[in-house]
Amino acid sequence: MFIPHSELDLKKMFDELSINSLDDLFTHIPDALLLENGLDLPESLSELESIDYFNDIAARNKSELVCFAGGGHYDVYLPQTVKSLTMRPEFMTSYTPYQAEISQGILQVLFEFQSLVCDLTDMELANASLYDGATSIAEAISVAINKTKRDDVIISSGFNPNSKEVINTLIDKNKFNLNYVDLDNYLFPTDYDFDESQAAFVVSYPHYEGSCQDLTELVTKAKDKGIVTICYVDPSMLGVLTTPGQMGFDIIVAEGQSLGSPLSFGGPTVGWFATKKEFARLVPGRLIGESRDKDGNKSYVMTLRAREQDIRREKASSNICTNQTLNAIGSAIHLSWLGPEGLYDMGYHSIQKANYMKKSLIKNGYVIPNDDSSLREFLLEVKTNASEVINKMGDKGFLAGIYYDDKHVLVAVTEKRKKTEIDSYIEALQEIDNG
Amino acid sequence: MVSGGNASSLPLVGGKPEPTIKELSSPGRRASNFPKLDVPEVKINHESLKKEKARLPEVSEHDLVMHYSRLAHRNFAVDLGFYPLGSCTMKYNPRFADSIASDSRFANMHPSMPEEFTQGCLKVMYEIGNYLCEITGMDYASFQPPAGASGELTGLLIIKKYLEINNLTNKTEIIVPDSAHGTNPASARMAGFTVVEVETDDRGMVNIEKLKDIVNENTAGLMLTNPNTGGLFEEEILTISQIIHNAGGLLYYDGANLNAIVGTSRPGDMGFDIVHSNLHKTFATPHGGGGPGSGPVAVKEFLKEYLPGPIVQNKDRKYNWYQPENSIGRMHGYHGNFLVTLRALVYMKLLGKEGLDTLGAYAVLNARYLSSKVSKIIPLAYDEPCMHEFVTSVKDLKKSHKIKAYDVGKALLDKGFHSPTIYFPLIVPEALMFEPTETQSKETLDDLADSLKIIISDLQQEDIVLEDYPKNLPVGRPNELIPAKFLTVNWGDFELLEITE
Repeated sequence: MFIPHSELDLKKMFDELSINSLDDLFTHIPDALLLENGLDLPESLSELESIDYFNDIAARNKSELVCFAGGGHYDVYLPQTVKSLTMRPEFMTSYTPYQAEISQGILQVLFEFQSLVCDLTDMELANASLYDGATSIAEAISVAINKTKRDDVIISSGFNPNSKEVINTLIDKNKFNLNYVDLDNYLFPTDYDFDESQAAFVVSYPHYEGSCQDLTELVTKAKDKGIVTICYVDPSMLGVLTTPGQMGFDIIVAEGQSLGSPLSFGGPTVGWFATKKEFARLVPGRLIGESRDKDGNKSYVMTLRAREQDIRREKASSNICTNQTLNAIGSAIHLSWLGPEGLYDMGYHSIQKANYMKKSLIKNGYVIPNDDSSLREFLLEVKTNASEVINKMGDKGFLAGIYYDDKHVLVAVTEKRKKTEIDSYIEALQEIDNG
Repeated sequence: MVSGGNASSLPLVGGKPEPTIKELSSPGRRASNFPKLDVPEVKINHESLKKEKARLPEVSEHDLVMHYSRLAHRNFAVDLGFYPLGSCTMKYNPRFADSIASDSRFANMHPSMPEEFTQGCLKVMYEIGNYLCEITGMDYASFQPPAGASGELTGLLIIKKYLEINNLTNKTEIIVPDSAHGTNPASARMAGFTVVEVETDDRGMVNIEKLKDIVNENTAGLMLTNPNTGGLFEEEILTISQIIHNAGGLLYYDGANLNAIVGTSRPGDMGFDIVHSNLHKTFATPHGGGGPGSGPVAVKEFLKEYLPGPIVQNKDRKYNWYQPENSIGRMHGYHGNFLVTLRALVYMKLLGKEGLDTLGAYAVLNARYLSSKVSKIIPLAYDEPCMHEFVTSVKDLKKSHKIKAYDVGKALLDKGFHSPTIYFPLIVPEALMFEPTETQSKETLDDLADSLKIIISDLQQEDIVLEDYPKNLPVGRPNELIPAKFLTVNWGDFELLEITE
């Protein structure tokens, strides 16, 4: 159906090639490797039939649940502007902007994305995106290892367990030591002693459990020992939170889903990576620079290409090639739509609503172990079993949160959640969680 | 004068540069709106809260939409014209997949939901796993790798873990052809292997004698595309796989060129043990200006337990997550680029057996036809029947007229086409690599060949300045040295530069 060739076309093309059939194209392939009867697959569906087919599959998802889950991916309001503009075929169906003259659109949006990320986090240089938050942390750790030539990595244990798994996969355990430091009452211990064998200090802001702390002193202490400091930040909270740049971090990475991408069952989303200019030549991924053409016209072009795998090959420190451009475009448009006031509202409303929910839960006899230090996201201690609670809350129309351990559910409240939804959640919880 | 309503940046209306969103910003404007706070507002004291607002542009929604729409107008795309871009498979991306991928019942699914709530998403991954395994001749697949390069790394980590578990840690060498994509050696090194290059012979294929010399007891495996990066089918692939397997190594198939053989031949039958596929190439998901892609990895049965976990299985008429016993671990925070995977399944369902059986054949037909036309203008690098793409070289034109592959690509832009891939594979001097894909018509291929003929003739004129091409686009060739030297990667950097220079 996407093949334009008519019988007439085929005849002319076969004539040009002096062949009689499509099979004649493959006479140089050993017979043993040619499929005799083609593939063992179902017949094609028309578009109309496909609608039914995918309707049936979509209906098996409990997509109607009111979402109180976070852990890096948040059910924030995604404006139609972002959805419409990122669906524009010039963005969606274009290739990587290697040919700058016919790619100024993508190049300029990515340049704006890089600049917006820098402004938002108080950094100097951002790349044009990485795969997702989790893989970005691993890329940042690699940069720190390359920069310091040291082997020990200090990682806060307050990370999404999946992110830890990704770090453990991507950082070679035979060569480097990944030391996970336990949180103390949900905060990174402020008296932690760094030493000069350490390459990186990696911490999440806020921590996975939702608690948030001023990390300035820890960053200063780590940097005094020549350690590269890496902050994994929740970017949609930066309308209200002190920025990682203000706290002095060398590198920030982020899961950018909540700015510009729907939840998408976890992907595609976008990894952010920003740093100081001194790290420029160690940065993974693509980088867009501003320049001029010979007539002095402003023009954008991919730059510092010599770092990348297609040029450095086995000497490259990262193999990333295809990234998440379209999601980065989504981030740029969403941030521009929000503006300073919108990003503030988004953060402020979620904190207020989370606070209302925490206080209501406490009033109803529930324990929130990190009530004081948490903002938009917090741990809820359940009376029965966390996994059972999540399942039963599903029947009541709620995605109660993320299973943390048998006694705790990680609950996130975005600006999208209504007071009525919060009230009904607590009501439903009391019905199904009878300890 | 900068204003949000000025359309003169559009090539159609004046050709001025488009201002940045920051330049369009004006204090007090906003596009966003939120409902009024519906919970009692209280004073929240927390050490991490700041007083000042974020530094972001302040624009009206109309200014914002006009700005990004005008930028869209300054970009080439599959929906606008032909990309004969070798190794990239820039085929048509079915519009229908957009509607399924933006269905909120998929797009609004939180990734941490328990499996009972996500049976639809799991079914998508299970179904496409079956399609992909049948197409590639493999047994099990993981959809975590979010791009081809990640798929490559996944494959190599699988090889590494397999060797570890089987006490074969002396095997540390990965063989890569000298024609390979740069991600191959980069991925091999990242996985901790030593990279050994094998030469390509005069016909453009792996030099079997050299391969035999290189292979030894330390050989861990071979990474190969078939057809290779020269667009040629490795006719000795069965011998190659025997050489590697006899040495106890594994064969990794780089799916960059899978489009050529879909429905005709399968990597699994050629002896490959691990395959990654680029869904954004072969299975028609949009490239998005450089991503998102998706690079699922499929393996033979004996490697199932090494896949990045969890993978989906179907048990007791329910879909559930299965954690492979010796899994290399996670390659992505959640389930890979799920919506891209979904789009690829839509494509496969629409094509079905009929469409997939002939997919590769039409791709090869178009390439063979175009190569026949183009070879009359620029010589082919290899005198062999091409598969889905072919490589030409302008090394003679460089000698006679100083015309580089780069110049030909730039001149072609003026004619309404994207450039072919240039300077790849690295072993062909002044290479131009063409891949038409199966969705372009005969007339389009003829038009490209005709245009190429005209520009090759134009560029040989005496009074021509090669650097002037392209001439008809919003900008000419950007000076690449300025950003590389001065790191003008953030707004304001360039202006600062002009002050201090």
